[in-house]
Amino acid sequence: MIKRVVVLLTLVLLALVFSDLVLNYIESPVLSPLGHYYATNGPAELGAANLVTSVIVTYRGLDTLGEVTVLFISAAGVGLLLGRREGNAAAAQPRKPASEIVQSAAQLLMPMVFLFGVYVFVNGHLTPGGGFQGGAIIASGILLLLLAQPYAVVSRRLIGITESLSGFSYVVVGVLGVILAGGFLDNRIMGLGQFGSLFSAGAIPIIYILIGFKVGSELGSVLDRFRAGDQ
Amino acid sequence: MLELLGSVIVLTGSVFLFSAGLGVLRMPDSYNRIQTGTKASTLGTILVLLGLAVLHPAWTWKLLILIFFVLLTNPVSSHALARAAHAIHVEETESMIVDRLDESEDAPPSEGQK
Amino acid sequence: MTGLPLSTFALASGLALILIGLLAMLTHKNIIRMIIGFSLVDTGIHLVMVAIGYVTGGSAPIIDDTVTAEQAASRIVDPLPSALVLTAIVIGLGVTAVMLSFAVRIYRAKRSLSIDDCAESKW
Repeated sequence: MIKRVVVLLTLVLLALVFSDLVLNYIESPVLSPLGHYYATNGPAELGAANLVTSVIVTYRGLDTLGEVTVLFISAAGVGLLLGRREGNAAAAQPRKPASEIVQSAAQLLMPMVFLFGVYVFVNGHLTPGGGFQGGAIIASGILLLLLAQPYAVVSRRLIGITESLSGFSYVVVGVLGVILAGGFLDNRIMGLGQFGSLFSAGAIPIIYILIGFKVGSELGSVLDRFRAGDQ
Repeated sequence: MLELLGSVIVLTGSVFLFSAGLGVLRMPDSYNRIQTGTKASTLGTILVLLGLAVLHPAWTWKLLILIFFVLLTNPVSSHALARAAHAIHVEETESMIVDRLDESEDAPPSEGQK
Repeated sequence: MTGLPLSTFALASGLALILIGLLAMLTHKNIIRMIIGFSLVDTGIHLVMVAIGYVTGGSAPIIDDTVTAEQAASRIVDPLPSALVLTAIVIGLGVTAVMLSFAVRIYRAKRSLSIDDCAESKW
């Protein structure tokens, strides 16, 4: 009884604060000074058509490196918590085979899903998308495979090698930025190319391809951990 | 004129989407909820995309491909969810009379069964 | 274009989602429902951040035929909140994955998903 009253009181007070925020909110008519700088200097300096990508990979590149690290730590945490099983092995519980509808749909859809994921992260500097979104799409393709073939074996060694190599190459590209261009994770280590074409914006496509592979294999391994042997 | 037609189609689609949400709230058990949610929301999505194709004729082919993908993936995923719910014995409503999936699983699998 | 205050709607729905998510986290006993409430709070926060970056009449911060490089500074919305929300979505995903694996371990240890059965540390 007391607990409900306290919860209700908290929510009512929070609603009062939020309604004050909403009622006094005024849409900004012009871009903020920082956004103005990104918009005017971004395309000329970095050569990427997608301004959000140029912010994520270059202007705030260190935050992206931290985010990749956080994702790696959470995948390691899931691997630790759902890791080896004490007692009976995973093969003790027979897995239910998938129905025919799911199997046929998976055969039709999986190549399209993987192709779409690769398209999204290769074109990250031209259209909305990028490494993280493409990696999530690839992980959903892996989930489709796990649903359609419950006995499919996902090679953990291959996923581990892909993930580690991609993360390592990302840091190597950053260090190359120190050696060949202005600073850590500078994308001008390669030529800026023609604005709006696929091979433009220096190292941004390379970084996004590496991030796409890393995120895809990481999320795929997390999904595999959740599957292996239920009780 | 074309704009009016397109807006009416989008409005019909949104009515279906609203009824999908209403159905998920009001249905008695999980299997009914899965059924209403999928059917009504798939139809609502298709109608909204069709209305958009009428409003912007330049995007017609892209929207048709989108409709194809929605039609391909939405029912399959709800089918997989419903079979998983049946496998872990999620409880059914009391007014249930016949459970064909139970019957077909108890009977031994025959050779030419589709 | 139509004069509707779009970003105020988005801001209001984001804050409403935060309130609904908090209600879900505080009133349910099932661990999975509390995790869903957490995910709702996450989504609400992302909506609030994107709504704040909106500029009146602005379009997406991507330079192509519709918004050329010279007009960019006057016609796009702020790209910075969108970039921050991208990072926030990924981190929300990581946290949800760890929470769900905790739920799996609790179920394996106690055979129940209700949080009333995990009360050994209560004093």
